[in-house]
Amino acid sequence: MSLMRRAVIAGGWRTPFVKAGTGLADADVLELATAATAETLARTETSAGSVDEIVYGNVSRPVAYHNLAREIVLALDLPTSIYASSVGMACASACVAITDASDHIAVGTADAVLAGGAESLSNVPITYTPRLARAVVRSSQSKSLPQRVSSFAGVKLSDLAPVAPGIRETSTGLTMGESAERMAAINGISREEQDRWALRSHTLAAAGTSDGRLTAEVVPLRRNGRVERDDTHIRRDTTLDRLSTLRPVFDRAHGTITAGNASPLTDGAATVLLLSEDRARAEGRSGLVAIRSYAYAAVDPADQLLIAPAYAIPIALKRAGLALSDVGLIEMHEAFAAQVLSTFRVLEKNGAGTVDEDRVNVMGGSIALGHPFGATGARVITTLANEMRRRKTQFGLASVCAAGGNGAAIVLELLQ
Amino acid sequence: MTVVPVGARFESGEDGVGRILIDRPDDSANAIDPPLLAALLAAIDAARDARPRGLIFVSAKPDQFVAGADLALFGDRASAAQISEASRAMQRIVKAIQALPFTTVAAINGSALGGGFELALACDYRVAADAPSVRIGLPEVQLGLLPAGAGTQLLPRLVGLPAALDLILNGRRLSARRALRMGLVDEVVHPASLGRAANDRALTGRKRGLGGGRTPLERAATWLAPARAIALRTARERARKETRGHFPAPSAAIDAIAIGLARGIDAGLESEAVAFGELATGTVARNLIALFVLGLRQRRAAFSDLPRAAAPTEIGVVGAGLMGSGIAQAAAIAGMSVRLRDVDDAAVTRGLDSIRSLTEDAGRKGVIDRRESRRAIARVTSTTDWTGFARSGLVVEAVFEELAVKKRVLAELEAVAGDDTVIASNTSALPIASIAAGARHPERIVGMHFFSPVHRMPLVEVIWPKAAEPAAVARVVAAGQALGKTVIVVRDGPGFYTTRTLGVMLGEAARLLEEGLAIEAIDAAMTSFGWPVGPLALIDEVGIAVARHAGETVASGIGATPQRNAVRLLADAGLVGKRGGEGFYRYDGGRRVPNPRVYELLGTSGIRPASEHLAPMLTALFVNEAARCLDEGILRSAADGDLGAVLGLGFPPYLGGPFRYADDFANVTGSSLADRLRAYAELAGPRYAPADSIAAGRPFHP
Repeated sequence: MSLMRRAVIAGGWRTPFVKAGTGLADADVLELATAATAETLARTETSAGSVDEIVYGNVSRPVAYHNLAREIVLALDLPTSIYASSVGMACASACVAITDASDHIAVGTADAVLAGGAESLSNVPITYTPRLARAVVRSSQSKSLPQRVSSFAGVKLSDLAPVAPGIRETSTGLTMGESAERMAAINGISREEQDRWALRSHTLAAAGTSDGRLTAEVVPLRRNGRVERDDTHIRRDTTLDRLSTLRPVFDRAHGTITAGNASPLTDGAATVLLLSEDRARAEGRSGLVAIRSYAYAAVDPADQLLIAPAYAIPIALKRAGLALSDVGLIEMHEAFAAQVLSTFRVLEKNGAGTVDEDRVNVMGGSIALGHPFGATGARVITTLANEMRRRKTQFGLASVCAAGGNGAAIVLELLQ
Repeated sequence: MTVVPVGARFESGEDGVGRILIDRPDDSANAIDPPLLAALLAAIDAARDARPRGLIFVSAKPDQFVAGADLALFGDRASAAQISEASRAMQRIVKAIQALPFTTVAAINGSALGGGFELALACDYRVAADAPSVRIGLPEVQLGLLPAGAGTQLLPRLVGLPAALDLILNGRRLSARRALRMGLVDEVVHPASLGRAANDRALTGRKRGLGGGRTPLERAATWLAPARAIALRTARERARKETRGHFPAPSAAIDAIAIGLARGIDAGLESEAVAFGELATGTVARNLIALFVLGLRQRRAAFSDLPRAAAPTEIGVVGAGLMGSGIAQAAAIAGMSVRLRDVDDAAVTRGLDSIRSLTEDAGRKGVIDRRESRRAIARVTSTTDWTGFARSGLVVEAVFEELAVKKRVLAELEAVAGDDTVIASNTSALPIASIAAGARHPERIVGMHFFSPVHRMPLVEVIWPKAAEPAAVARVVAAGQALGKTVIVVRDGPGFYTTRTLGVMLGEAARLLEEGLAIEAIDAAMTSFGWPVGPLALIDEVGIAVARHAGETVASGIGATPQRNAVRLLADAGLVGKRGGEGFYRYDGGRRVPNPRVYELLGTSGIRPASEHLAPMLTALFVNEAARCLDEGILRSAADGDLGAVLGLGFPPYLGGPFRYADDFANVTGSSLADRLRAYAELAGPRYAPADSIAAGRPFHP
């Protein structure tokens, strides 16, 4: 055994993952984050006074929340002594939150950390053009009315149009979907393979919902007289035929990626409670799942934007002293079916091993469940840890790809 | 008797601003007593001689400015003339401050109430700290008195007549920000800036007069005789209606204000001083002050025979109905994390909605800060399962009042509760011992009787069953106090104290119907005696079924067997009460008319008017039952009994509570309560036979 302290997952819960612009559209990201966090505290029977820290991820961050994690502490009126930091690695943000938390516990600066992430894609911050924004700042600094007026010289009519946050990679100018098309082409992933993976995701998610394994991680949101409790993207009635009729979105002429085999825009939040193993055992908690190892990797966004997990996974496994075949369950974030299948191919090509697809996303993935950017990492870890407990699987692997060419892989171990 | 001046002194400052430091050595609230009055006068003289550029009144106490008159002043021995003289002494201080040739500032760092606020009113400027401890106002009327350190004269001249009437007659105690909005203070600053802000005002401010309102309209209502007459008449009308002639203070305050505005400030001051002496030596003020003092002492007294305990930071509430959501809301406002459970989403969501609307209302009305109201709402999490209860130091069960339901919920709760969790059962009548029968840990099960609506009612009756550990009871007491309630601890038994005494009285009222009395006659007699609601209207209010259940629990507990009972008849006939639109009254929109069906069901005429003895008789029956509770050890003290009846049931506060009333009975009516009860017993039956302690005739309050 290593002398290092270990972090264990005491439990994790999430809000339902709801299609952006629908049931949770009027809940801002803080409300989603507080709901998941308060419920994780309650359901792990943890007194807020015994929490040291919150680390939280969020991607399209509202201007008002300079540090969303800290706002969670204040909004829930948790002890103000709980320090909190917000972290960002695009779609892998919650992975960073969790591994940061794990590190802090491992080195002994914390014993109990809430980690997770949230996203409200119904409420992305809308801004103005840089030219208008600079004019407003200049005006606010000016000392006289004429100065104030002249601040706006050079602002054009077109600058008055609001700007939505970019969906294009800054460095390549490609959208996420265009990048995924490129990956499908490079790795020779057919439209049909992608649609089959999407169908599998929906079928397994529907099954996981019906038998209660997925709903066990969801806390209902009771607000304004309504209750939101369902993951709303799951299509129980979809078929390969139906998926095959959808038109490609990003490359209309030769493309393979449709709304059916990509993850949809989603509102939601997920939080996990990490404890030091010592404390968890002292409190008599059972079903502990430890963070055994993790790795991040990064690739050139102009090449295969979302392939980094294929490089992170072998490193994480090596750090865990395991081979891919030792891993009984894998939760892999599904940004696109093409990205998942590309990851399998590249892993194999690089000699990391062949992925047993039956062990992957056994209750579906982000295509069916949705993908609230900041939250997905925590959802994946929660789903994996819960299923490892149910199946008594000793080792599990989670991976999440992210914009900018980053990728995360985390190895979990079910403790006896 | 000479008074040695103690508690205030003048200090000159380096920048030319002098200070009068108020620091009564024997009282943390700086309550005004004769030595402090003398010290203030001496300090003002010293300031006048020192001729500083400005003068600040500051308190040396943390979070307290000057609380008001020392209530010890109103001991039994003081005569009306002596008390009027104390009022004049305070008025002289106000005049002396106003006559100082330099700018004066009050630096309000905490409670500035009554005499404390009058001191501030005498200054040219008032600067207040933005702190929760700051409360500003003239609450004397609530104690049966009137502001008599020039308050009735200065306040109308500061904020205008209508606002002054509202503040004085309702005895409002405002936060710093609301005081600023109403014009009572000139500036509100962060506590750390209070000294600097007061200093700046003292250096740069000018001597000011009082205009009588900030707007022309306010000034017109103050100084224009016809407008003033309207405002005064409206106020008198309201006071008459609300006091029903039992509380003399409001009209005395209106008189003093009216005289001062019509005939000049000196006439007003004299009227104020004379009325103060009369009121302070009257029984109403004495009883109200006694209740107030009991309430203050109760924070400690509730813990007698109990260890000190801390209130839990995490609390569970089972049942999200009217009571459960009310309890959850009070706990959230008090800063606790709340876990709220009910059986399904619909019930939980309804509960959450009512918590949100109550809390948002409180934010809108300025009872709490708006941001704080949002945080309070966020402190409540909800569930339909049993998760999140193990960490709670206290779980309050507020499910339907039925023994089987309560026992089942208790069993489920015990299965998930932590090793240290105390379970409190919110019930108005069911004996805790029977709820806890068969429980795994009866030593951790306590009763906690809340009153509806929880956010308004100031009492919690904690029931200490034989099996419960003192530490468990203590935690429940601490929680009740943390919720801002006055807590009394009583022993277990059907109906405990409050429901038992009320039940006996309501039962008697219902019985009177069978003698042919009119519904509205019974209720009217009781409300004009000073009860807030008539007994039959109250039964409608709580619901016929609940009243029947409580009544029968109480009746069987004390061995009474009523053969025929109006409440039971109504229940059997399917009448629900106010919620169902029909009970002793019919409810149609906001209107309420006596229900003729009741007379049909009872076979009575319903035309007999109530005699003048009705209300005293029912009230005496209530008092007698309260005495029995004390005799049987259900009540631990007469103080608990007085507070419980007044705060929980609306027992007429001018009587000071059932035990104070019993003690005073001979003084007020000329015959002893025991004799009166014996006479009633002969007239109406043995249930009026005096309780042992009443028959013994010893005073309840020594």
